[in-house]
Amino acid sequence: MAWEYSERTRQLFMDAVHGKPGTHLGEIEDPDGIGEHGSMACGDAMRFTFRVKRHPSDPTKDVIVESRYLTFGCTSAIAASEALCTLIEQGGYTPIEALKIRNGDIVKFLEGLPEQKIHCSVMGAEALESAVFNWAQKRGVDLERLGVDIHADEQEEGRIVCECFSLSEPYLRRKIKELNLRTIPQITNAIKAGGGCMSCHHVPGGLQDLLDEIWSGETKQVAPEPGKAAKGAAKEEPLSPYQFAKKVEKTMDEYIRPMLQRDGGDVEIVDIKEALVYCRLKGACAGCAGAAVTLKMMVETTLKNVVDERIRVIQV
Amino acid sequence: MRIIYADNNATTRIASEVYEAMVPFLTENYFNPSSMYEPARSAAGAIAQARKKIAGHLGVTDAKHILFTSCATESNNAAILGTAKANANRRHIITTSVEHPAVLEVCKDLQRGGYKVTFIPVDGDGNLDIRAFVRALGSETLMVTIMHANNETGVIFPIEQLSRLTKQTDPSIVFHTDATQSVGKITIDLMGDYRHVDLLSFSGHKLHAPKGIGALFIRRGTPCRPFMIGGHQEEGRRAGTENVPYIIGLAKAMALAMENNEEEQTHIRNLRDRLEKSLEEKITCVNVNGKGAPRLANTLNISCHYVEGEGMLYQLSAHGICASSGSACTSGSLEPSHVLRAMNIPFTAVHGSVRFSLSRYNTEEDIDRIIEVFPEIVANLRKLSPYWDNEKNMPRPDAEHLLQGTG
Repeated sequence: MAWEYSERTRQLFMDAVHGKPGTHLGEIEDPDGIGEHGSMACGDAMRFTFRVKRHPSDPTKDVIVESRYLTFGCTSAIAASEALCTLIEQGGYTPIEALKIRNGDIVKFLEGLPEQKIHCSVMGAEALESAVFNWAQKRGVDLERLGVDIHADEQEEGRIVCECFSLSEPYLRRKIKELNLRTIPQITNAIKAGGGCMSCHHVPGGLQDLLDEIWSGETKQVAPEPGKAAKGAAKEEPLSPYQFAKKVEKTMDEYIRPMLQRDGGDVEIVDIKEALVYCRLKGACAGCAGAAVTLKMMVETTLKNVVDERIRVIQV
Repeated sequence: MRIIYADNNATTRIASEVYEAMVPFLTENYFNPSSMYEPARSAAGAIAQARKKIAGHLGVTDAKHILFTSCATESNNAAILGTAKANANRRHIITTSVEHPAVLEVCKDLQRGGYKVTFIPVDGDGNLDIRAFVRALGSETLMVTIMHANNETGVIFPIEQLSRLTKQTDPSIVFHTDATQSVGKITIDLMGDYRHVDLLSFSGHKLHAPKGIGALFIRRGTPCRPFMIGGHQEEGRRAGTENVPYIIGLAKAMALAMENNEEEQTHIRNLRDRLEKSLEEKITCVNVNGKGAPRLANTLNISCHYVEGEGMLYQLSAHGICASSGSACTSGSLEPSHVLRAMNIPFTAVHGSVRFSLSRYNTEEDIDRIIEVFPEIVANLRKLSPYWDNEKNMPRPDAEHLLQGTG
């Protein structure tokens, strides 16, 4: 699929490639901060350097005055690198302030990126982080003590499984095990993977394959719904399917059908499967606009009260 | 000789508007939509547009639900085999005894592989036995695959009801419908009445697009593994370079069908009803198959007892009239129609069945011409029939007996 880039993205890319004045392609010699980030998934890598105006006494007040990048990558990776440098220089930030630039800001600056290319903006943010980390080491700034969590977005590299959220196979494998995720909905709820376009659910190497592989050693055991098993055991001896069906039929004949027949209607039990009772309304009831309501309100309520509260009536 | 084409359930002529929409993509815009350069982007953009339009005609807002395939047979195979592959712990399939071979034979093949398959029967009018369907649903049931409209009789199954019953019983049962004969004829809203359908197949050549293009609707999150594996096309769910011109053609054909749907279907229904009524009046010992069931507006399947279908088709064709038959001699397999047999239509009538299926391109003159020649064709063949008493113009009293003797 050809990517749909915004005008801004294409323009930044063309400007950078042609070395237009004001673009940031290059590398600062003897920089104050240098950071690298590469993503195997996209086949791109970035080296990001910046120079600061040093504060005479307090290094945390250094201000970034120049930034440059060398990027091997696609259109959006280069445009994202440009965006990052522009944002930093425009802001007149200290390195620690610059950390507030998230990949979302880069995407916004680019006027959007295709879903599949969001990771290009992540690369910029990651390279910036590692450059700031490098600056802090050089200048003797203790980031941890300042409460700056430099590894907040740490994520393993590898084949991207969920493209919408840019989540890699090693990361997913770790999380599936750590959080004991057994089904796709569980994965989606826990770490968002597979919650976008859902196309990674059942493709080769997709979420289901990971689940099958990780849990294949164990016998499939679906956790019982809370309270369900316990409840059944605590009550008196459950009815056999035959007794259950008989009781449903008896209740129908005694309570429900006489009421319906008074109005010229009737009801037929088509089938009973565990607690599901399939009914078809007949006679005057069949054509009645309120048939569904009748079944739900009257038939189901009566059966729930008399036979079993789990009963669900399905209109055939 | 002028051709009167009345076999539109087999295939349809390509609408000139469809052809014109395709031409640019058969000539100057030949690029691979996966390529990066600007011209290829326009091909990719055209596919995206087409996908969106087709989704829209089915009531679907998110175009990602629609996959393009090569034909409805591929869509059916992908739906059934893909679902089986993704859900290895369930091994029961529910289908009907009147499906198209593209579903029936796939189910039978799975049956040979150890799957349990329930074939729901139909009554004499072709209506599905809903009670049998409900009873068949079970905790082992993997999927339901039931056609929307029958290709031979035009009988429409209540897919809204069947899919609802399926999902109310167990939401993890996958519901597939082969809607090859109904898309473009019946309004299908996959977010409305048909919201319980997970998978829906159809093809282009039944609605005035060319042969060689099909589609499969896959509702988000449906456990169905890809059938064609390879490149990243269709997000890895159906690999293979996109058939750009045909995809454009399919979108155009659907737009044509849906824009004037009501008007067009009324026109077709009027033609069909007049043909049906006239033939019933003019020919003795006939019955219309599926008459007591809801039917597509365009299909007339009529049985002329004690005559053989191929003989009728041959003579019709001498008049330039194209139709088809459920008779054994025309099927290639020497088996009479499994659909009519499932409806318990007697052999005397199955072999004498003729299907006329109309389209927007049929005219009053076409119908006049069929009404003019068909009764005589039947009469001619009956003259030759050992079962027919020509003086009384009725079957010989021993006809049934004779038939049984010949098997």
